[in-house]
Amino acid sequence: MKQAIIILSSLVFSTLFYSQNIGLNLSIFSILTLIVLIISNTNKFKNKATIIYALLYLVTAAIVFFQHTTLSIITNCVVFFTLIGSITEAKSSIFVNWLNGVYTTVAGFFHRSFDFNKKEAKPILKKDIDFIHWIKLIGIPLVFIIVFILLYKNGNSVFNDLISQINLKFINMQWILFSVLGYFIFSNIINPVEVEHTTKLDLETGNSLFKGKNFSEEDLKKEKQLGTTLMLLLNVLIVFYLVTDIIAISTSATSNAETLSNQVHNGINALIASIVIAIVIILYFFRGNLNFYKHNKTLKSLAFIWIILNAVLVILIALKNNIYVSSFGFTYKRVGVYIYLLLTFIGLVTTFLKVLKVKNLLFLFRVNTQIAFAILMLCSTVNWDYHITYYNINYAQSVDLNYLIKLSNNNASLLKTYNDKNTLSSNNYNRINNKHTNFIELLEDRNWQEYTYENLKQSNNTKKQNY
Amino acid sequence: MNVPSNVGKSTLLAMCIFWIINFTKDVSMDLAGIAFLSAIPIFICVTLVIIITICPIFWILKKDTISNYAIAKKYFPYYAIVMFGLCLMGVIASRADVYSISFFITVFITTAQSWVWFAKENKV
Repeated sequence: MKQAIIILSSLVFSTLFYSQNIGLNLSIFSILTLIVLIISNTNKFKNKATIIYALLYLVTAAIVFFQHTTLSIITNCVVFFTLIGSITEAKSSIFVNWLNGVYTTVAGFFHRSFDFNKKEAKPILKKDIDFIHWIKLIGIPLVFIIVFILLYKNGNSVFNDLISQINLKFINMQWILFSVLGYFIFSNIINPVEVEHTTKLDLETGNSLFKGKNFSEEDLKKEKQLGTTLMLLLNVLIVFYLVTDIIAISTSATSNAETLSNQVHNGINALIASIVIAIVIILYFFRGNLNFYKHNKTLKSLAFIWIILNAVLVILIALKNNIYVSSFGFTYKRVGVYIYLLLTFIGLVTTFLKVLKVKNLLFLFRVNTQIAFAILMLCSTVNWDYHITYYNINYAQSVDLNYLIKLSNNNASLLKTYNDKNTLSSNNYNRINNKHTNFIELLEDRNWQEYTYENLKQSNNTKKQNY
Repeated sequence: MNVPSNVGKSTLLAMCIFWIINFTKDVSMDLAGIAFLSAIPIFICVTLVIIITICPIFWILKKDTISNYAIAKKYFPYYAIVMFGLCLMGVIASRADVYSISFFITVFITTAQSWVWFAKENKV
């Protein structure tokens, strides 16, 4: 039964992806994968987390069809690995799911080849059908026959003519090899395997920190003094920096893109260094027994203040980026700054929680990877090229058309409308028209496997025009 | 550890995979000759990769109480993921040229199978 499902799926895989770009095929593949996984691992789909990941996988499949952005394709792949990992072990952390998902997809076959300790992995089928024998029986004579035909072809013209008449061009060997790749992937994921060592370690380790054996009051007192002094000085320094930064923002009215860009990027560099060092220092001091030392309140308070001040730094950088964006519009870099700031802010909040609730390092890693996954999901729902263009042409004080034209075809129709309504330079006018024409041609040339929502929209527009 | 046997089997496997993928693009007598001659560079590549990347793991970690199987079970997953990542990067960097694709697919499958052969050698 499983073999039949795998073979059928591999044929569908080849039909969907061979010589095709990504589009509807990835969405269909996602649905097919989900059906195969549900049939082969029905019991695992009773788990809440697995059901959620399965639903998310369907959502990302739909997003790929509707948005057709690189980010949505990447997200679909990430959710695919998460789902496979979740089927392997539902209770493990998300980063272990990724590890198990990738491992199952790329090396599940090899894992099962040497891991025949488990009862379920015993190749019972071998007793009925000896695959190796059949491969030898067909493969070896076939190879030798081909070699000898190639040799004899040059020795006898009649034989050569006869052989030349055999036309095997209808057999597409690359298509067959692509099906083999599909077979490999489906045979790997149908029985998920796990990275045992990491999964076991993850399941055994909780989120809480416990009092260590070497609890020395004297050592902890010295460590607390060092920590308090360091935190106090760092707090004074960051307050001084923040005050000067606020003065700089409120007094300078910069309209120069380069100056604003330098300010934001320098701020970001300072922020990266500051946050990383802040988190490392906090993690160092609150790594063990200092969490349970009764006189640690001052150090904890200073750590909390420092985290809050770093959060203020994040907000100030966001304000600078905001000024920059309202003047010169969005770019991927500027959107990236917002996302980075959001991740940094969340990182600070989780560090705050780690210290407050006496959690370990693994807690921080688990929560942050989970949040990063959620943000990736959210970001993939946005058609960035379209929205960047929409904002810039409608709200930005100056529009960098050169940048917008270089973005993907997702903004081609929007730019075309802008082009028709405004008087642009002849160069930009032609470039936008060319972009739109190429986009329409590309849509018309697509095979059904490559279809996206844009194809549906285009066919509706054509119908309306015909009426 | 029977390294020569593993290298021999891996060379044959690598040759088969590499040329099966390449023959899907073009089959000719000229290529058949090159295919036979390619055994030498393939053998050198396979030997180097196995001795440099796989054998040290077994040589360093092998003890009387730990079998090849136990080592493979613990470390093969990480090796497979890293090797897959490197091969994928290679395919992307080569802009999906058929020769490069066949080379990197061969590297990944051969090294993974080589682990399997080592693991099965003296399973406890």
